[in-house]
Amino acid sequence: MDTTAHGPEAATPASGPWPIRLTDVTVRYPNGVVGLRGVSLAIEAGEMVSVVGLSGSGKSTLVRTVNGLVPVTSGTVQVGPYRVDQLRGRRLRHVRGSIGMIFQGFNLADRASVYHNVLVGRFSHTPTWKTLLGLTSREDREMVMSALDSVGMLEKVWGRAGALSGGQKQRVAIARALSQEPQVMLADEPVASLDPPTAHAVMSDLRRVNTERDLTVLVNLHLMDLARQYTTRMIGLRDGELVYDGPASSATDADFEAIYGRPIQTRDTLGQ
Amino acid sequence: MTVSQLSVPTRPRTWPRVAVVVGVIVAITVLTTLPALGGVNIDLGAIARNWGNGSERIGKLFPPDPSILPRTWKPLLETLEMALVGTAIAALLALPLSQWAARPTNPSRSRIVVRGVLNVIRAVPDLVYATILVAMVGVGALPGVITLVLFDLGIVVKLVSEAIDSADASYMEAGRAAGGTQTQINRVTAQPQTWPVFASQVLYSLELNVRISSILGLVGAGGLGRLIDEVRGFYRYGALSMIIIEILVVVIAIEIASNVLRKRLR
Repeated sequence: MDTTAHGPEAATPASGPWPIRLTDVTVRYPNGVVGLRGVSLAIEAGEMVSVVGLSGSGKSTLVRTVNGLVPVTSGTVQVGPYRVDQLRGRRLRHVRGSIGMIFQGFNLADRASVYHNVLVGRFSHTPTWKTLLGLTSREDREMVMSALDSVGMLEKVWGRAGALSGGQKQRVAIARALSQEPQVMLADEPVASLDPPTAHAVMSDLRRVNTERDLTVLVNLHLMDLARQYTTRMIGLRDGELVYDGPASSATDADFEAIYGRPIQTRDTLGQ
Repeated sequence: MTVSQLSVPTRPRTWPRVAVVVGVIVAITVLTTLPALGGVNIDLGAIARNWGNGSERIGKLFPPDPSILPRTWKPLLETLEMALVGTAIAALLALPLSQWAARPTNPSRSRIVVRGVLNVIRAVPDLVYATILVAMVGVGALPGVITLVLFDLGIVVKLVSEAIDSADASYMEAGRAAGGTQTQINRVTAQPQTWPVFASQVLYSLELNVRISSILGLVGAGGLGRLIDEVRGFYRYGALSMIIIEILVVVIAIEIASNVLRKRLR
C-alpha cells in the first residue's frame, strides 16, 4: 500500500473493493465547530461497517472525509490507492467516481427524469463537453439501465424523480451510485427518512451490494438494531471522537449506552 | 365548550408597534413635503389650472379613426417580429447566464462579475439603449431588437438566478460526490430543475416586449412607434386612439396565450 500512496499515477485503479484508512483525522469547520477529533480507523476491503452515534456526533463528517466532500484539517485519508486528503480538482473528481454515495434526503433532482438522475453517476467517466451537448454513449446508457434494473426501478426510468415514493427515491439514488461502478459505497443515514418496512428493504439492498458486487460499505446509522442486523462491524462516535470499534452483532446495550452517552430509549431502535 | 371555559393566553399588546408605524409614516410625510427640507414640489393647483388643455385632447381621441388600420399592419407585424426575435435571443443567452449568476450553480467568484455586469445592463433605461443604438447601427428594427435583448436579459437573468439561489439544491451534493464537474451538474440536473421558472420568465418578457417595442419607434427603432409619432405630429388623435386600441388587443391576446402556457408548465 505504501508504494501506491503517492498519487493516481502510481496506481492502476484496480477493480474489487478498496480499503479505507483514516489516520489521526481532525476536521474543524470554518465556523469553529469541530466535526472529528483525532479519529484513526482501518476498514478492510469488502467490509460492511456501520457508523453509530447521535446526531451531531460527527457521523456525517466522517463519511464525507472519505470522498473529500469535507476537507480534513489534519491527518490522512487513504482510500484504495489514493490519498484523498491530498487531492483536489480533476484528480479528486476522478477518485470520487469510484466512491458511490447515498444520502438521507435522497438528493435527487425532482423535476429531472429518473434516467437523468442516474446518469449523474456516469459524470466522472464522461468528458464535460459531451455532457454539455447531451451526448450519451451506448455503454453509459446500458449501465444506467442495468443499475436501475438491479434495484427494481427500470420501469420508472422515464418518469420524474419527484413523482416517486421515498423508498423508490432511495432505490434510484442507489442505482445512481451503482452506475458509477464504484469500489466503495458510502451511505449517510440512508433510511432515516423512510418507514420501517422500506427501511429494512433499503438496508437489505445495501447488504446485497456489499456481498454480490463486493463493495466496501460504510453506512451511518443512529438506530442500534439496524446496525446489529445488517453490518458486521460497528464504529461508535461521540462528540467527534471514536469511542467504539468492534463487532456489530455482539454489541451490548451497554456498548450503545456508552456511545450515546445516555440510557437506551425506545426511539433508538426501528423495530420490524 | 364555550370560549369562556378555554384558558386563552392574554393577547400581546400591539400598540407600541402601531405607534412606531404611524410615527414613521408621519415622519416620511413631513420630510418629503416641507420645502425647507428639500421636499418634492408637487403643486396640486396645476391640475385644476391645466385640466382644460388635457381634457380637450382626450376628447379629440374620440371617435377612433379606423381608416388608419390598413397602414398599421406592416408596422404591427414588425413590432411583433422584434418582440419575438428579441425574446428568443435573450432566452438563449439567459440560460447559461442565469446559472453563472446563481450561487448553487456557480460557487466561484466569477458569479460576482456576471451579476455586476447585469446590474449595469438593467440600470440603463430601454429608451436610452434605443437612442444610442439607432445612432450606432442605423434606423430600423435592428436597434429595437438589440434593445429588447438587453432589457430581457436584465429581467430574466435576475429573476431566474434568484429562483435558483432560493431553491433547494441538495442534488448538487450528489453530483459532486459522483465526481461531476459543475458544468455537468448544471446541464443534467440544475437545468431541468429550473426549467419551469425559466420558461415562465421568458414568456413574461415576451409580454413586456410587445408593449415596449411599440414605443421604441419614437426614437427610430422600428415598429409601431414610428407610426404613433407620425400621427401625433399631424394631430390625428382619432388615428392615435385606434392604434392604442390595436396595441391593447394584441397585448391582451399575448397575455392570455402566455397565461395558458404558464399554467401548463406547473
